[in-house]
Amino acid sequence: MASRELISYDTGATVKILKWVSPVFLGAYLIWALLPLFIMLMASFKDLLDAFTLPKPGQWGDVGVFFDFSPTITHYIALFAENNFGTYLFNSLVASVGSAMIAVTLGSMCAYSLSRTEFRGKKDLLFWIISTRMAPIVAVIVPLYAIFRSADLVGTLPGLILAFTTFNLPFAIWMLKGFFDGVPYAIEEAAQVDGNNRFQAFLMILPLVAPGIGAFVILCILFAWNDFLFATIIGSGGAKTLPAATKELVQPQNIDWGKIMAAGVVTTAPMIPLGLLVRRYLVAGLTMGAVKE
Amino acid sequence: MTIGSEKNIHPALSDQDWGYATISQTPTSVNPNPKKWFYFYLAAPAIILLAAITIYPFFWLIYMSFHKVGFGAVSDVFVGLKNFSRLFSDAKFIAGWGLLLKYSAICLTIQVLVGVALAVVLNNSRYEKPLITMFLMPMMVSPVVAGLLFYYLYNGTFGWYHWIFQSLGILGETSILGNSSTALYGIILVDVWQWTPLITLITLAGLKRVPQDQLEANMVDGAGSISNFFHISLPNIYPFLLIAILLRFMDNFRFIDAILVLTGGGPGNSTRLLPVYLFDVSFQFFKLGRGAAIAISLLIVTIILGMILVRVLEDPARKSTLAGDSDS
Amino acid sequence: MFYVPKKAIYKAVSRRKFLELGGGGIASLGVGSLVVGLSTVITRRSVQAASSDDAKWRQYEGSKLVFMSENTPPSFAIRDKIKDFYDLTGIEIEIITDGLPSVQQKVGIDLQSGNSDFPISYVQDKPIGAPFADYYADLTPMIGDDTLPQDPEGYGDGVWFENFLDACGRFYDRDRLIALPYDAAVACTFYRQDIYEENSKDFEAEYGYRMEFNEDSTWKTVYDFAEFLKRKRDGGADVPYGYAQHQGSFAWTTQLDVQRMFFAHGRWLDWEIDDKLGSKSPPPSNWGDEQSVLLMQKFKEQADVSHPDNLANGTLELNTVYQSGSIAMQVQYHEFAASIEDETTSKAAGGRTAYAPCPKGEPSWITNGGPSVNGTNCGVGGVGINGNASEDVKRAAYIFCVYATTGKLQYDVLTGLGGTPTRKSVMDMPGVAEARQRPSDMPNALTFDAVYDIGIKDPNFVLGPKVPEANEYHNILAAETQRCLSEETTPEEACNSIKSQIDNLH
Repeated sequence: MASRELISYDTGATVKILKWVSPVFLGAYLIWALLPLFIMLMASFKDLLDAFTLPKPGQWGDVGVFFDFSPTITHYIALFAENNFGTYLFNSLVASVGSAMIAVTLGSMCAYSLSRTEFRGKKDLLFWIISTRMAPIVAVIVPLYAIFRSADLVGTLPGLILAFTTFNLPFAIWMLKGFFDGVPYAIEEAAQVDGNNRFQAFLMILPLVAPGIGAFVILCILFAWNDFLFATIIGSGGAKTLPAATKELVQPQNIDWGKIMAAGVVTTAPMIPLGLLVRRYLVAGLTMGAVKE
Repeated sequence: MTIGSEKNIHPALSDQDWGYATISQTPTSVNPNPKKWFYFYLAAPAIILLAAITIYPFFWLIYMSFHKVGFGAVSDVFVGLKNFSRLFSDAKFIAGWGLLLKYSAICLTIQVLVGVALAVVLNNSRYEKPLITMFLMPMMVSPVVAGLLFYYLYNGTFGWYHWIFQSLGILGETSILGNSSTALYGIILVDVWQWTPLITLITLAGLKRVPQDQLEANMVDGAGSISNFFHISLPNIYPFLLIAILLRFMDNFRFIDAILVLTGGGPGNSTRLLPVYLFDVSFQFFKLGRGAAIAISLLIVTIILGMILVRVLEDPARKSTLAGDSDS
Repeated sequence: MFYVPKKAIYKAVSRRKFLELGGGGIASLGVGSLVVGLSTVITRRSVQAASSDDAKWRQYEGSKLVFMSENTPPSFAIRDKIKDFYDLTGIEIEIITDGLPSVQQKVGIDLQSGNSDFPISYVQDKPIGAPFADYYADLTPMIGDDTLPQDPEGYGDGVWFENFLDACGRFYDRDRLIALPYDAAVACTFYRQDIYEENSKDFEAEYGYRMEFNEDSTWKTVYDFAEFLKRKRDGGADVPYGYAQHQGSFAWTTQLDVQRMFFAHGRWLDWEIDDKLGSKSPPPSNWGDEQSVLLMQKFKEQADVSHPDNLANGTLELNTVYQSGSIAMQVQYHEFAASIEDETTSKAAGGRTAYAPCPKGEPSWITNGGPSVNGTNCGVGGVGINGNASEDVKRAAYIFCVYATTGKLQYDVLTGLGGTPTRKSVMDMPGVAEARQRPSDMPNALTFDAVYDIGIKDPNFVLGPKVPEANEYHNILAAETQRCLSEETTPEEACNSIKSQIDNLH
């Protein structure tokens, strides 16, 4: 906002160059960012031989072959009819929404408490919470598997929800604590004076942080939806999700790229609008609340 | 009293503004006179759940790292520090750290250079909103899907990116993943594709906070916008970048999905970053003791990085910049 | 920092107990009620030896078992037949398919931790059988049990193709049998007859022999063909490359790729151990000896005249390269013939491809005095039963194993999705003999002469080291070979590095 007008102050040669270079740079980056997604989308509508058609190296004029195909939706049909993608879609949905709900519900209670009290060791507790979120998953997944196994949770949706919660819960606590820190205690105090008990007072300030809670539900869904390691190791079997199922389409005897690209589209498509919906909170969410927009 | 419906009950609670999380506290939010049990009960479910799914594995990891882990009827054998001492003579362990650092360094350099440049250009653009929206899309892609997508694009027989590289004369017939000296760049490009926009977003957030008066003062001194960028903007966005770099660096420890799909660590050991090697040791070779020792080395570094991150967040000077206090 | 209590309880309780505590804690948090995952149900009716066959098949009617399998055509085929099995036995089978590495992880954890989530699983010879053999149930008692239904052909070595039962069923101990052969992938040579014919004249003028491939062709001829085509191509001619190796990211098949050529020369082996039975404590390896260094050098030379994307192509990608017409020859597993002969995806279809056994060793490259053979290796997948399962679960699982390995079923798969039979009797079933010649309605059968009549028979057959650390061995071998091919190390350094690493494995 503030610095937008500044460039007009000076008229040096560099600025002129920048005026030319900037759009080129932005255009080039736009292509770089979107081209893979565009190719994925197109390839998902191509049959195998069309998807394999390339011009000879250096023949830029023949790039048109990329568009030279008759679109087919057989890959999408096959995914749902033969490969049970309907089930996987359902699993992805239940596991990611379930874990987001648990994370944000428990997380907001915990974050609220941590925000309202001071006690010895609080810093350590908070650091522990955030470190569980940062720990490399590969490092802890073997013992985690064993624990889940002994609780009969491997290959089940509840198991997967719990697995996703291992990274969503610390995230939710940490982020929401920032929200509650911004709500003065005076509000609850007033509520209590009006005859509400403390829990009611807690519920009353929830609407104040509602936009944040909504955004972090969506971010938790995004993290869980895109997860792969937990999904294959804890979830696969009874609770296969879309990323795990997509990877599995790479089969020993043939890689059906059309199908894989279609699966990629199915996996990615719901997340792009969701992610853009919470764009304003994205920076905060991805920097653990360190930076806000 | 219906608090929810009353807007702007407190200046701090406007729709635009909300807190940011750090370990220390905004004093006004603390209950000065708490009855602790209430808060304890409220916090307990989350803490217990988190403890159950993190502290147990953590102890287990430590236990395993001191044992040759047996299975079924075979019991665990205590081996002391052998799992750790063995790491020092394990070429793949050492090379794995080297590659992890190299990978992270190159990824972050490119991401910061391109990401900051994009932010600066976008900040003055009429199309900032729609453009950044489109730039962000790769971030929403599941890393394993990104891996598969680039595997397809890089393919030496039918991949369009390979065709582009070849047509531009960057590569010959050998695809980027088919050569141990280029494969690392192949996986780096995927990370750059996905995560450069994050740096752009963070830098943009920083640029919006650069104090106007400082910029103007600098102008009065006859400086141009270039000088402004290097002398005023950059120092101001530096703490934002530092956080972004630390977080991305830690994420490189966590996410190996795309690498597993793209190269599995090869050719040779050219893309066997430490987490990939850890995955091999624990999940392909079932050497759980050795795997635990590697995991602990990763955890220690993660924790150190985490501490540095918290230190950065806690630094009062930076904190005010990050929170945007200098705007007001 | 992670919170560490001063008096950690883990010291006082065993690891298992500790786990159960943690697991119990999680379960008690109230998420256990929704469990819909893996479950084995067993119900039994007693039968005698004299009972009818039908009664034997149906003795576990109402039971439910989980079968963990690799995502290959036989698994998909058996999924189609699962209804028939249910009608026959009343046993419900849930088939879970996954990629080999995932199957390896899950089956490994399940077997080793004393559980039996997967009472039946896919035993791929070295990747799964070699490390986990001890955890599988011995099938011998059940084979001799006349209260169980049995295959009328029986399960002797003679009813399967040569060496198959050893490959996937016997590990370290001749008296235990842990799996029955269910599918097989055997290496053979796929080459472009049409391209060879076009170039034969030029080639013969230069090298003095015809450009054709048969069971006497050696690895030297493979090199010559590849070198010739590459030179021609570099000179601007429109010809494909001559050869490519399996050097992509799949360590196991990379190891097999190296092994085939090494074994062809004087039957060279990694370790002096019984190749078919394996060993839990192998002696120091042969890597680094004169023969291995020479062959590694030849292997490197081969790579240099191969398709330039050699290091990016695993087995699967290699097949795509061949399908696309970019190479004129590959040594490939015979199950891929179906995809090569598919006109809609392959430029090598329609009689352009011919099949031959794996190349022979080049006599002048043999320094260890051994014979030159058509070194042929394979992956034989068996069905095995989890040793942790209860007696009844094992018996019910056995009924499925019997069904899954019948000749009839294999025939159905062969005529349907394109299977790879393991029982000899399939060769005598209607139409199979005819299908071995073009035009064939079972493309995989085109390879049967090369594979079943020559490749898998001794002295050509090599299984490769069955050692408990097989997976790490594959990984080391693949990485070091790739490093040598990318000129990070010399052949000699590569061999020595392999030796020093694998000698420390056991």
